[in-house]
Amino acid sequence: MTGNYLADNTRKRRLTYLLLVVAPLAFIFVSLFLGRYPVSITDVIYILWCKISGNPCSLPDICQTIVWDIRLPRAILGALVGGCLSISGAAFQGIFRNPLVNSGILGVSSGAGFGAALAIILFNAIAPTYIFAFTFGILAVILSYLIARVYNATPTIMLVLGGVIVSSVFSALISLTKYVADPMDQLPAIVFWLMGSLASARYQDIAIAGIPMLIGICGILAIRWRINVMSMGDKEAQSLGINPVINKGIVIACATLATAGAVCVSGIIGWVGLVMPHIGRMLVGNDNRVLIPTSLSLGACFLILVDNLGRMLTGSEIPLGILTALVGGPFFVYLLKRTKGGGW
Amino acid sequence: MALIEARGVSFGYNGIPLFQDINFSIEPGELFCLLGPNGCGKTTLLDCILGHLKPLSGEILLDGSSIIRIRPEQIARQIAYVPQTHEKTFPYRVLDVVLMGRAAYIGMFGRPEEEDLAIAEEALATVGITHLRNRRYTQLSGGEVQLVMVARALAQRTPVIVMDEPTAHLDFKHELVIMEKVVELVREQGLAILMATHFPNHCFYFENSGLVTRVAMMSNMNFLAVGSPSEVLSEENLKHLYKVNTRVVSFPVDSKQELKQIIALSTTDSRHENEQGRRI
Repeated sequence: MTGNYLADNTRKRRLTYLLLVVAPLAFIFVSLFLGRYPVSITDVIYILWCKISGNPCSLPDICQTIVWDIRLPRAILGALVGGCLSISGAAFQGIFRNPLVNSGILGVSSGAGFGAALAIILFNAIAPTYIFAFTFGILAVILSYLIARVYNATPTIMLVLGGVIVSSVFSALISLTKYVADPMDQLPAIVFWLMGSLASARYQDIAIAGIPMLIGICGILAIRWRINVMSMGDKEAQSLGINPVINKGIVIACATLATAGAVCVSGIIGWVGLVMPHIGRMLVGNDNRVLIPTSLSLGACFLILVDNLGRMLTGSEIPLGILTALVGGPFFVYLLKRTKGGGW
Repeated sequence: MALIEARGVSFGYNGIPLFQDINFSIEPGELFCLLGPNGCGKTTLLDCILGHLKPLSGEILLDGSSIIRIRPEQIARQIAYVPQTHEKTFPYRVLDVVLMGRAAYIGMFGRPEEEDLAIAEEALATVGITHLRNRRYTQLSGGEVQLVMVARALAQRTPVIVMDEPTAHLDFKHELVIMEKVVELVREQGLAILMATHFPNHCFYFENSGLVTRVAMMSNMNFLAVGSPSEVLSEENLKHLYKVNTRVVSFPVDSKQELKQIIALSTTDSRHENEQGRRI
């Protein structure tokens, strides 16, 4: 496959990186004039220009609000969330040497789900939901890590096992909160939260949740070549000269920050963190130097696309968690057929 | 000064000692073979030398300083490692695998530069697998993967390479391919190699090739004997070590060189042998 040699070919590599940056921006731009309220391309460009340059805008307020305050933050948040889930999934697959792992492997999703459900029951307001979801997501990963430490070290299999245990405990706790929740308003709120949505996206959300997401993304991007080395296994990685415990810890911390930041504002969106990295593997190969940025970009584009479908297909919005699998599944099979799986 | 020195090294799992008070040193340009039956602790001893395991007592000195005080990247600039079997996960390109040998020279957030690429290419050329450079290493044969591992170790630019049964699972030819590479590396690159092996004949192969070779026979928690293959690999020692009756045969190739080989006859506990054993 051509993509395999990207690392050697400077010109090709630059072009690829350019494409990886431009693609999500293009998706964000397109989603500004998609939706039930029609806004033409020229109007969108005009509104953007007015807002950025600070000039007064002659279009009706509703147009401006829809493009600038609803669609734009939603698309940006979609890009961030999709990118975070996908890049964390790719990083986890690398360090756990397991292509079946996803961004929720250490329990961050179920932890965050429980945190959100708990906050809905206790407060029934939005702000505590974010904080609880984020905190419990991080807590779940720390618990998984501590369970692995019981074994005196953090071998990969123990970490994954710890994650499975913590996930199932938090899943049970989610069920418990659903059971005790008020079935008229709290229970639907929990169920919808768990299915994932970007509908409530505002700039404040991006500003707050964006911090852990960006830290996580930058950390993984920076350490991405070492993920190659870590995927050789602890023993070989150490004999190649890197401390597996410290380096794995950094990757886990970054991926957890990114995922927890994403989950706390969007709810649980499955599938992206597992399959987007694989689509990346088919397109550009397995070298994490290229795969990690590719996963980031693919995840961002994919979630914007799915979110646009979700808000346009029917009169009411379809939750993201449902559509990611429904849209992504056939796309994955199509790519599998086209690329013959990229060497697996 | 010795490249690696083990002083009174002991190790055991769960309080049961595996070996005790092991002493040896590895000098530049020599081939040191570890020989011993399954489960005698060869791999564990290598793990101690690589810094993966901490000895229960004694110490391992790398260029004169204790290995437990040396960081992984500094160890990896002194000792490279070729595993017995490499567990393949992702279908990386061969060149990308060899590039990983440069990890000890690249910072935590760095990526390989032009210079690292040149060193990796050179390692591929030294091992003679430049033609495999762009292949996915998961699609290579066992022998080819082992050559990739040797190239990766060379890319580490270390004075010592530790090999743990590098010819395990290889076919008749590829076993020889690896052995020839090892001889070439010691002879032409002046590397020291510490190698655990299951085949006593490997030691003779190295000696026959004219390399400075030492054998350590590992048994009963310590070294039974250490010395050149001709001194150590006697029929008596082999019987003691493996419980196998052997004949060491020797035949001249030309006026200067003679080839030595061990031929296994029978295990000492087989019935057939018991009769023979009594006769001997």
